[in-house]
Amino acid sequence: MSSGSDNRIRVDRRTTIKWLAATMAVAHTGCATTEKYLGDEIPPAPDKLLGSAGAPGNVRYGTDADLVNPVVPWSRTMTEAQLRIASSLCDVIVPEDGRSPAASAVGVPDFIDEWVSAPYPQQRSDREIILAGLEWLEQQSQDRFGSSFAAAGVPQQAQLLDDIAYPADAVPGLAEQVEFFERFRYLTVGAFYTTEAGTNDIGYIGNVAIKGEYPGPSDEALAHLAGVLEQLGLSLPA
Amino acid sequence: MQEQYDAVVVGSGAGGAMAAWVLASKGLRVLMLEAGRHYDPYRETPMFAVNRDAPLRGTGTPDKEFGYYDATVDGGWEVPGEPYASAPGSEFMWWRSRMLGGRTNHWARNSFRMGPYDFKPRSRDGLGVDWPIEYEDLAPWYDRTETVVGVYGRNDGLENHPDSSPGVLHKPPAPRVGELLIQAACNELKIPCIPARRAVLTRPIDNRSACFYATGCGRGCAIGAAFQTTTSLIPMALATGKLTIVTDAMVYEVRLNDEGKAEGVGYVDKITGKHEAAFGRSVVLAASAGETARILLNSKSESFPDGAANSSGQVGRNLMDTVGAAMGAQFPLLENRPTYNEDGAMGMHMYIPFWLYKEQARGELDFARGYHYEFGADGRAEPGMGIAHIAGFAGGYGRKLKEDMRRYYGSFLDFVCRGEMIPNAGSRCEIDPDSKDRWGIPTLRFHFKWSDHELNMVRHFQKATKEIIERLGGKLQSGDVSPEQAISKGGQIIHEVGTTRMGDDSATSVTNQYGQTWDVRNLFVADGGVFASKAHKNPTLTIMALAWRSSDYLAEQLGKRSL
Repeated sequence: MSSGSDNRIRVDRRTTIKWLAATMAVAHTGCATTEKYLGDEIPPAPDKLLGSAGAPGNVRYGTDADLVNPVVPWSRTMTEAQLRIASSLCDVIVPEDGRSPAASAVGVPDFIDEWVSAPYPQQRSDREIILAGLEWLEQQSQDRFGSSFAAAGVPQQAQLLDDIAYPADAVPGLAEQVEFFERFRYLTVGAFYTTEAGTNDIGYIGNVAIKGEYPGPSDEALAHLAGVLEQLGLSLPA
Repeated sequence: MQEQYDAVVVGSGAGGAMAAWVLASKGLRVLMLEAGRHYDPYRETPMFAVNRDAPLRGTGTPDKEFGYYDATVDGGWEVPGEPYASAPGSEFMWWRSRMLGGRTNHWARNSFRMGPYDFKPRSRDGLGVDWPIEYEDLAPWYDRTETVVGVYGRNDGLENHPDSSPGVLHKPPAPRVGELLIQAACNELKIPCIPARRAVLTRPIDNRSACFYATGCGRGCAIGAAFQTTTSLIPMALATGKLTIVTDAMVYEVRLNDEGKAEGVGYVDKITGKHEAAFGRSVVLAASAGETARILLNSKSESFPDGAANSSGQVGRNLMDTVGAAMGAQFPLLENRPTYNEDGAMGMHMYIPFWLYKEQARGELDFARGYHYEFGADGRAEPGMGIAHIAGFAGGYGRKLKEDMRRYYGSFLDFVCRGEMIPNAGSRCEIDPDSKDRWGIPTLRFHFKWSDHELNMVRHFQKATKEIIERLGGKLQSGDVSPEQAISKGGQIIHEVGTTRMGDDSATSVTNQYGQTWDVRNLFVADGGVFASKAHKNPTLTIMALAWRSSDYLAEQLGKRSL
């Protein structure tokens, strides 16, 4: 395991003891190091590995926004370092394959920045989870592999994620990180499949005006349905 | 000298716009007052806009609860500066919209006729009250309303689900895969599954086009296919030259003269903040069941210390909403199914009408009224952020996840319960003694509770739905929850009605069968407030049919100068 944990346990007041306890639980840092943080005194917040995101503003789009010319009126707040880790993590979740590009190639990291910088309650709540989670991931990568998550190999990245990506099999004590992964995946997948590339990949072919009557299912779709109904012992409605 | 109109209509939604058009087309001079701003659906509707172009991919926020593109202006569950409250032990949600056309700009367009049983519920089961009219009294106006509005559907001749007259309905769109699957199970289970009825044109009417099967109705419809008053009744009424519209006019009272007749209304001009008045030979309140009750309760005078037209004490009482519940399931047999354009009419093509009237009449059910099913069967809808729930279902990440997304997309179906609530003494609204809005107008406080009839109905829906899902090899995704957990909150289905109910007796109702208040004979109500019961059928079509019938009567009385 990595050395130099003294300097690397960089946790600000916000992430606090619960994150330390979680780090302890995976037991990749020396006990002596963490114990001194678990006393009554909380040390002054040191710099974070990924820097501190800018304060989110209170600029909302309001209750009468222009629906035809939509704009995001608030500023992005994530640091370059946070975006770098987010970008790597997006691509582990949605990598390039034969059908569509990786998430980072279609702007998903920027969308995550848009989301966590938004002024609304759900997004504020996600912000806490996402930014702390990215910091944790980077800390873990440096501790375990001596490398930034962004520079770690796919097997190393997978090793970290497998601790938190499967709730039923997650490493005990990592409930916050499991929630982080779930929320980050939600944002990544939602953002990716709403892009043109993602929408094409998944096979959505609507949003086009049809002249005349709605044609209903294609012959191929109906044939498939007929097969399904046959398996169920049901007949296709007349 | 203030201008005097033949009618001052408060509200521009389903009831108000219908009243204004009917009266104006008979040559009467009408003033329409709308609390929200002017709204131009031809210019403001984000037709074909995709989620990726909206902030947060269009996800709902406190500013836009139903999503960025939803055609609700300055509204939602909260309206800035216009609070309402729920009494201790109650939780009521009140959706408002501050725009010309009101909530008709975004509604689901589901349009079912109430049937003979629905107008005489007390005669049938001893609960609630009967309406002062029968189905046959309203049937001609249903035909007329459907003709003007444009409703797709089919006549199936089912018990208590009336047919329309020949030629009235538009041809319903072809069912999609999910709907055919459910229909196949229903056919075996002896449950009717028939074309839904929605206020969406499938043939053109005047300058309104037929549906072209794309872009969600909830954002409004710039081609006029999905009915909203801002592309139909309001332009039609304006074309008569008899309608004047004033927007940003927040009506707060009905003004009565010394003879006890309505002389007009008082309102706040929201732009200037000034108090203004408008005068007419008659006043028609169509501000929504909640807002109309609020106006009446706030119209206190010596002759009406408890609010105008409230000698019965019934204003604000008998508040009802539709019973709501939903269950979702995933169907392995629908995985990896072939893709095709599943947008359709951007709403349901098929539904399940209530089918257990005989069992109910025989006392075999532990709930007294009906419910119907609506489906979320457009499984291959345009992706929004919600598509990420598939990832939660599939689990994991990486290329496997991408394969799973393709596999599971379109394999989920939603089943929605929409049921009848019976009025009860614990459900009502009143003026909150402790609260005023930004203009100093006292606000509403709601009391709400469900009875065992509604909870037992939800339990029945849960059981019936499980049978359908199991028959189709589906996996329930919504969990096993109690009816108490599953039932919607009061107001959440946005079908609030009953607060100024009509009846035969001035002691127990607020208006007669024409929405004419018993106490003030030139004061009418033309919104959902007049409902004496709340059938499971979505109320908008009935609001419009009643508003038309009442307006015909009002016009006749104005003509005779008998008000």
